Amino acid sequence: MHGMFPRPLTALVFALALGPVLSAAQPMTPSALAYHRAQQPKRVALAQADLLAHRTELGLSAREAFVPAHSFTNAQGEAIVHLDHTFDGYRVLGSQAIAKVPLGGTIQAITGKVLKGVQVDNEPTLAPETAKAIAVRHLDVKGAMKDAPRVERVLFPAQFLGGIATAVDPATGKSILDRKHSVHAKLASPYVWAYEVKTHVQNSQDGLKALTYYIDGRTGNILRINDAIDRQSATPTTGSGQGYYNGNVAIPTSQMVDGTYALYDPTRGSLPNPYLQYFTPDGSGWGPTGLQAWYELNDAQGNNTGQSFLFQGNAANNWGDGLPFSIGSFGQEGGLNGQTMGVDALYALTWTWDFYNNVFYRNGMDGLGTTAIAQVGMTGSWYKHNAYWDPYYQGAFLGTGTPDGFGSFTEFDVVAHEMTHGVTGTTVQFVNAAGYEEAGLNEATSDFFAQMTKAYAAGGGGSAIPEADLPWQIGAGVGHGTPIRYLDKPSQDQRSVDGWYDGVHFMDGHYSAGVLNRALYLLAHGASATPGDINYSPYLPNGMVGIGNDKTARIWFKAVTEMLYSGGMGTVTFQEARDAAIQVALQLYGDSAGGYGFDSLTSHAVENAFGAANVGLNYAEPPRTQVRFADWRNNDYIQRTHFTAYANRQFLPIGEKVVPRITVLNNPNTAVTWTLGGPSIYNNGLHDGESGYALKGGVINADGSWTTPYELGWYALTATSQADPKQFAEGRAFLINMDTDQDGEIDALDLGPISFSWLLRPGVNPAHSMFEAPEVDDGDIAAFADAMKSTWWVK
Amino acid sequence: MRKLGLFIPGLLLSLVLACGGANPHASAPAAPAKGLAYTDPTGTGWRLVKDPASTPTRLLLNLVGPTGLKTRGAGFNLKAPAGVQFGNFTETSFPIKDLGIYDLWNSNPYPYDGSVAVGSDPLEPRLLAGGLKAGNVLTVGDFQKDRRATAKDSGRALFQIALEFDASAALKDGDALTLTIAKSKFIAEDIGAFSGSLTAEIRQKSVMQDMTISVGTLHAN
Repeated sequence: MHGMFPRPLTALVFALALGPVLSAAQPMTPSALAYHRAQQPKRVALAQADLLAHRTELGLSAREAFVPAHSFTNAQGEAIVHLDHTFDGYRVLGSQAIAKVPLGGTIQAITGKVLKGVQVDNEPTLAPETAKAIAVRHLDVKGAMKDAPRVERVLFPAQFLGGIATAVDPATGKSILDRKHSVHAKLASPYVWAYEVKTHVQNSQDGLKALTYYIDGRTGNILRINDAIDRQSATPTTGSGQGYYNGNVAIPTSQMVDGTYALYDPTRGSLPNPYLQYFTPDGSGWGPTGLQAWYELNDAQGNNTGQSFLFQGNAANNWGDGLPFSIGSFGQEGGLNGQTMGVDALYALTWTWDFYNNVFYRNGMDGLGTTAIAQVGMTGSWYKHNAYWDPYYQGAFLGTGTPDGFGSFTEFDVVAHEMTHGVTGTTVQFVNAAGYEEAGLNEATSDFFAQMTKAYAAGGGGSAIPEADLPWQIGAGVGHGTPIRYLDKPSQDQRSVDGWYDGVHFMDGHYSAGVLNRALYLLAHGASATPGDINYSPYLPNGMVGIGNDKTARIWFKAVTEMLYSGGMGTVTFQEARDAAIQVALQLYGDSAGGYGFDSLTSHAVENAFGAANVGLNYAEPPRTQVRFADWRNNDYIQRTHFTAYANRQFLPIGEKVVPRITVLNNPNTAVTWTLGGPSIYNNGLHDGESGYALKGGVINADGSWTTPYELGWYALTATSQADPKQFAEGRAFLINMDTDQDGEIDALDLGPISFSWLLRPGVNPAHSMFEAPEVDDGDIAAFADAMKSTWWVK
Repeated sequence: MRKLGLFIPGLLLSLVLACGGANPHASAPAAPAKGLAYTDPTGTGWRLVKDPASTPTRLLLNLVGPTGLKTRGAGFNLKAPAGVQFGNFTETSFPIKDLGIYDLWNSNPYPYDGSVAVGSDPLEPRLLAGGLKAGNVLTVGDFQKDRRATAKDSGRALFQIALEFDASAALKDGDALTLTIAKSKFIAEDIGAFSGSLTAEIRQKSVMQDMTISVGTLHAN
C-alpha cells in the first residue's frame, strides 16, 4: 500500500436496453424533469434487479443482496440510486453501491465500496433489547431521552472498529483520552453480527447528543460510536439590520388565520418536518410542512427554558430591527431584536433551498422535499457558540453568540453550510469526526456550497451559478470581520491547512477542510503563477485558469452525491474525492470542452486544482515525493491510518525510547527531518483543548529514535522530506504511564497492580491506571498490551 | 643423494609424532551446537520446568509454583545470554502463553443476566503480556484481573515461555548458557477479598509478593 493510493472507484457498467443517451450536460426542461422523476420508482427497481443479477461478478454470494436506501433524480434526468449491501437480509455497514439509471442506455454502478468476501458463522446471542440497554447504559443520560433508541441488526466489518477518542478536560483545558468513548474491543474475525443503536438526547442536563452505537451481537462489546451531529465549531459574533447580516431583505412569510404574520414559508417543502410533526396544528394556519424560523426562549439571564416557538404574531409583517442580538433581548427572543436572527436565518434558508432545487434539481436537503427549519437563539454551553445541523430534525440550530464577543450564528454562509450537511448526510454520509480524512471533505463541502449559495443569491436566482465577487470566507460577520474560515488560502486562519499530508486526518474536520476548500477555490477561480499571491500554490507553480463557479459546483455536487459513499464509516479519502471529481468532469464536460474527449481541459483543471492542494498529481506531472508513516501493523510505532482493521490505536509508554518508522517514496533521497509536534501551521494555530490538538514533547535522538516525555497525552511527530520539504507526514501516539508498581521500570510485572484496581470505582491507586485516572478497566489493559507490543515486541 | 632423499621425509614424520606425544591434554575442536539442552531445577518452589513439547531448537519452559500455594498471577524478568532468543506465541502474539490455570476473564460480564457468556470474546483484554527489553531481557506476566475469581493452586504449569536457539551466535556443543531471573513477583490469594468498597486494608494488601524462581541448567548442544 505504501506510495499507492487505492483505486477508489470500481465502475462496473452493465448493459441494459440500448437507446439514445442524453448528453450529460444537456439542459432539461421542467416538464422533462417531471417525467424523469415520475420514472424514478421504476428505475430504482431496475437498478436493484441489475445489481442482483451481477452478484457473481461482484464476488457476492447468494446470501447477499442490495436494497434501495436513498434515491433521487439528478439534473440530467438520471435516477441515482444508493443501494445498501445486505447479508441474510441485514445491512452490511459501510457497504453500498451507487447506481445511475438513465433513460435507456446503460445502468452504471459504482461498486468500489461494496465489501467482498463477507462471511459470518454465528448468530447473535444478544437480544436487540439487550443491545439497546448496553448503549443506553453507556450513554448515561441524566435527563429524558428525546426519542426512543432505534435498534437495527447489522453486519459489522472489523475494519470499521472504533479507536482512540480524545476530549477536553474541563478542569485543565487539556486534551485527554476520552476513556468513555474510546473503543478497546478487538475482533477475531473480519465480520461479526452487531446491533446499531441510534440514540437522541436533548435536555438541559445532558445537552445535545445523537450517538450511534454498534454493539457486538455476541459479546456485548461496543465496537464503534458515531456522533451524528454536525457542529459548526466556529467562533461566535453578533448581528444587525432588519436582518443584521443581510440588511433589508424580502423574506417569505405567511399571513395566518388571525391576520397576523409568521416566519413561515409553506411554498417550500412538501413533507412535514420530523421535529415539528410532534406539534399539533392549532387552527392558526400553521403546519409542520414549509420552511420556517423558530426561536429558543431563554430567561432574562440567557438560560434556555426548554421551550421553542415559531416567530409569529407579527401584525404588520415587518420583522427585526437590523441590530445585533442584544443581551437585553434574552427572554424576549420573539421580539423585534430577536426577530433579526429569524430574518437572517429564514433568508438564508430559502436561498439555500432554492439553490439546491434550481441548480441541482434537488428537492430539499434530503431530496425528498422534507421541510427544513432554522431555530435561532440557542444558548447553553453547547449551543451559543455553535451552529449545527440536526439530521433527525432536519434543522439548523443556531446559537446566539456572546453579546460582548461573537455574533449570532445566523449569517448567510453559516446557515447554508449547515443545510448542506443535510445534503451530504443523506447521500455520501460522511463521518464527522477527527481521525478521518472525510471529516474535512464533509466540512469543506458545506463551506464550498455555502459560497456557491451566496453567489447564487447575489445573481438573483435562475438555474446557474454566476461568477459573483465572493469573499471565499465563512462566518466573517460572526467574527466581526475575522472569518471563521478562509477557502482561498485556508491557512490564513493559522489553523487550517492548504494542502494534504499523511496525517491530515488527525485534524478536526473544520481545519482539514482546507485541503478541499483550497482545491475547489482554485478550480473555480484559478491559480496564480506568482509566489506570494493568495492563489499561488507551490505544488502548482505555473498556475492554472479557473473553470468558474458553475462548472466547479456541478462537478463537486455530482461527485459527492453520486460517486462517493462512506455510510459514516470514515473510508473516503481526499484522493478518492479527487478521482471522483475527475471522472465527473469527464462525464459532464469531456465532450463539450472543445472535443478534447478524455484529454478534456476541464478534467485537467480538476487534476491541477487538486494537485495544487497536494492531492494527487497535476496533469502530466511525474510522481511526487511522498512521506508516509508505516501502515499499522501490531509492531509499528506511530500509526498512519486510523481505520485499519483490528488495531485502531497507538499507545506508547512515557519516558522510553521508541523508533518511529517512516517511508519516503519516489525520491532516492529518503532522508527526513524529524520534529516534535504536528506540522507547524497546525500546532501553532491550535491550542490545547481544541479538537485535533496534539502535544509535542520528548527528544528526537540523532539515530531517529524518540525518547518520549514523562507526561501523558496525545503526542505528534512530523517527518519532513529533506529532498522536498513541501512533503511531510504526521504520526501520533497516546503516551501512557505503564509503571503501575512505581518501581521505576516498565515491565510485564506492571500488569499485576492493574488487577488490584480493576472493577473498583475508584481504583485502589491512580498509578494502576494507564491514564492516571481514578478508575481502571479493560481500556487500561488494552492500552498496556498495545504499548507493550509496540515498544518491546518479539518477532 | 638418494639416501639423503629418503632420510628427510622420515625425519619430518618423526617430528610430527614427537610433538603429538608431548601434549597429551589436547582434544578435537568442539562441534558447532545445533540446539538447546535444559535440565530442570530440583526443589518444589517456584521453578522453570521444561515442557515435553519442546524441540531441539525451541525450548518451552513452564512456570510452576509451590503446590498448595494459592495465587492470582505471577510474572518475571529473565535475562538470557547471546545465542538464546525469546520466541513468540502466535496464539497470544506475545512471548508468553497462558496454560489455563488462571481465570483471565471478567467473571461477570454486563448485562449480568447471563446473556453474555464468560470469555465469549476471545480478544477480551487480559492481564497477559510480555516483551523483550534491552539486554535480551524477557519480561512476562499473567494475572487474574477479576478478584471475584478464586485464587488458584500454583503447583501446576501456569504459563509458558519459549527460548529459541540462535544459530547465528556460533555456539559450540557444550557451551554453558546462564539464565538469570532479574525480578519476579506473584499476587497472593489474600489481598483483601473483593468487597465492592475501598478500604485501607485493601490498599495495604494491594502489593505483589517477591518470589524466587529456580532455573535449571542450560547448554548448547
